[in-house]
Amino acid sequence: MLTLPHRPARIAIATALSIAIAALIAAVLWAILAAATDAGGQSRVDIPHLLRMTAIQAGLTTILSLLVGMALAWALNRLRFVGRDLMVGLFAAAIVTPGMVVAFGLLSIWGRNGWINQLSQSLFGVTFDSPAYGLSGILLAHVILDGAFAARILLARLDAIPATRLKIGQSLALSAGRRFRLIDWPAMAGSLPGLGAIIFLLAFTSFPIVLLLGGGPANQTLEVAIFSAVRLDFDLVGAVRLALTQIGVCALVILLASAFTPPPAALDRSLPPTWRDGPGARALQWLVLVVATAGFALPLLSVLYDGIVGGFGRVLAQPAFWRAAITSIGIGTASALLTLLLALGLALGRSAAGHPLARTGLGIPAFAYLAVPAVVLSLGFFLLVRNFGVSTGTAAPFVVVGANSLLALPFAMATLGPPLDAIVRTRGKLIRSLGIGGWMQFARIEYPLLGRDIGLMLALSFCFSLGDLGVIALFGTQDFQTLPLMMYRALGSYRNNDAAAIAAILLIGTIAAFIFLPRLIERLAHAGRR
Amino acid sequence: MLVADSLSFAYPEQAPYLFSPEASPGEITAISGASGSGKSTLLDLLAGFQRPRSGALTLDGADLLPLPPEARPVSLLLQADNLFDHISAADNALLGLPRGTPKQQGLQAVNAALAEVGLAGFEDKSAATLSGGQKQRVALARTLLRDRPVLLLDEPFSALDDETRRTTRDLVAELTRRHGWHTILVSHHADDIAALANRHYRLVDGRLERV
Repeated sequence: MLTLPHRPARIAIATALSIAIAALIAAVLWAILAAATDAGGQSRVDIPHLLRMTAIQAGLTTILSLLVGMALAWALNRLRFVGRDLMVGLFAAAIVTPGMVVAFGLLSIWGRNGWINQLSQSLFGVTFDSPAYGLSGILLAHVILDGAFAARILLARLDAIPATRLKIGQSLALSAGRRFRLIDWPAMAGSLPGLGAIIFLLAFTSFPIVLLLGGGPANQTLEVAIFSAVRLDFDLVGAVRLALTQIGVCALVILLASAFTPPPAALDRSLPPTWRDGPGARALQWLVLVVATAGFALPLLSVLYDGIVGGFGRVLAQPAFWRAAITSIGIGTASALLTLLLALGLALGRSAAGHPLARTGLGIPAFAYLAVPAVVLSLGFFLLVRNFGVSTGTAAPFVVVGANSLLALPFAMATLGPPLDAIVRTRGKLIRSLGIGGWMQFARIEYPLLGRDIGLMLALSFCFSLGDLGVIALFGTQDFQTLPLMMYRALGSYRNNDAAAIAAILLIGTIAAFIFLPRLIERLAHAGRR
Repeated sequence: MLVADSLSFAYPEQAPYLFSPEASPGEITAISGASGSGKSTLLDLLAGFQRPRSGALTLDGADLLPLPPEARPVSLLLQADNLFDHISAADNALLGLPRGTPKQQGLQAVNAALAEVGLAGFEDKSAATLSGGQKQRVALARTLLRDRPVLLLDEPFSALDDETRRTTRDLVAELTRRHGWHTILVSHHADDIAALANRHYRLVDGRLERV
């Protein structure tokens, strides 16, 4: 790619960052391996069982989420109604909605004392076994989040179908079934392997949902088992073995997924013709939409309701809440800014590096964090800190900020990389002919054009950090806790009203940040959407 | 005879278009004009993808305006995306036949149509592997099977090389004559229009002028 002038400074910064990030991964792995070697003893963890359970859970989650996502994307692509954009935005927010909040919402509806059982008790005098616990509950919570996430991604593919293709299809009077097979399916199919791999990884490394809804060792997954081994059983050998297994499987999934590159979306964004399916298909689309919306929104609404009824006031009056809130916001802000610096440094260098090998080399360390689950990364840092003789209490704020930032880095790179590459592709010659470079290039061209993407990246990173339980779980103390940890502890001590209020605050915080941060940054950057 | 009488259409905050073209059976009517002059809008109105604010559209006296795109007596051939790439040439052509056509009868018709456009033996080829000219020919075979009296062409030769362009152009002219289609060609290529048009309109300031 010769369109941009040589940018040695950018490439040097990206190379330094890439080496530092790779060194950190190596240090974490070394700490984990060294701990395993040193310990050398016995462990009671049953890795084959845990691996089997985790794979079954993640596999079922992936299949069900893709099915739900396809059906929902299909319905949303066809139907037009007031509030559609809001609904699409809500589904987009699924990626940042804390798993704990959804798990709590499910318990509120389907739990032993949930709405369904209360209603059934008052109407019919009978109650049911709760489906919110065990494998069914885990699957339900995962499918709510990951199905909505899949729907948003697949809807973008359907919306990008060229208008010309739709015109041909409509003029041929394709039935709803043929339309799906000939037009919709090819548009979505290319994204399914990569999307499936992401969902599998999310479910494979899911922590708070399994912790809250797992209901015991039978449904324990690797991630939760690592946490239990470190915090409850003090079985470091077991934790290390589990962590290595976890990393190995995640790396394998990423390698397999990387073999499937989704085809680029068509660029024809012209208004598609109005083409309504027949009444039977439309009825099915409405049914899918209503069921999916109810499945996604009801747990969240119940969280808000329980939070308000449960008493925001009492929680807000607790000094511990304010300490946790300030800690959460501080960690979220710091990790979002650190992620921005890292992602910009790497992505600007990658876009300036012409050779594909150089681009791959600069990207691999950042994307490698996809293979390192939060609890494993936290365990690695925990061991590293111990090796250096630093107390975990002293290191905790830095480690939590750093770990959250690194965990968000692959998503940040995926957000900033494509638009930066597009700038090189579409404006590279102009930039070169005008002789613009260095800071001027970033401030005058890239920053204004990237405004919304930078905002989205900051929002993703902030929300991931705000909802994190995996990292803080190993480093949290009574004096250093975030809102998710405080909520988890409230649940553990049966202070459900406090947990409900914190869950509601977390939900409002993440959704608000996800919606408003991109707009705020875009406004600051004075940039319209390209 | 296909007659559009004062079909008007306006995009928000733009001056309205007013179209009154006519097309005779077995003839090609060409529409030319600058980019953004409304050529594709006219085709969208004829095909039913846009609804006019006023005016009339008839084919041999029958009102076409109430009909949705799928029910109009119209076939389309666009610059690209005419075929579904993941199925075979024969399956693409089969889409032109009414649903419920017996399989054997359908395959015979497809083979005959592909032969008529010079693609005998291409039945099992994946559409994705066909060249640009071959794709347009498969789309024409599908048009033959649909047997609709109006053929709308939107820059159908633009993506073809000179030689393929000439042969595909000749094929369109021949099929139009042989099947009595009312063919309307939108193009900004003067040589296409000179080679094909029996009647030529130019779009200027949202109005059609007979050339």
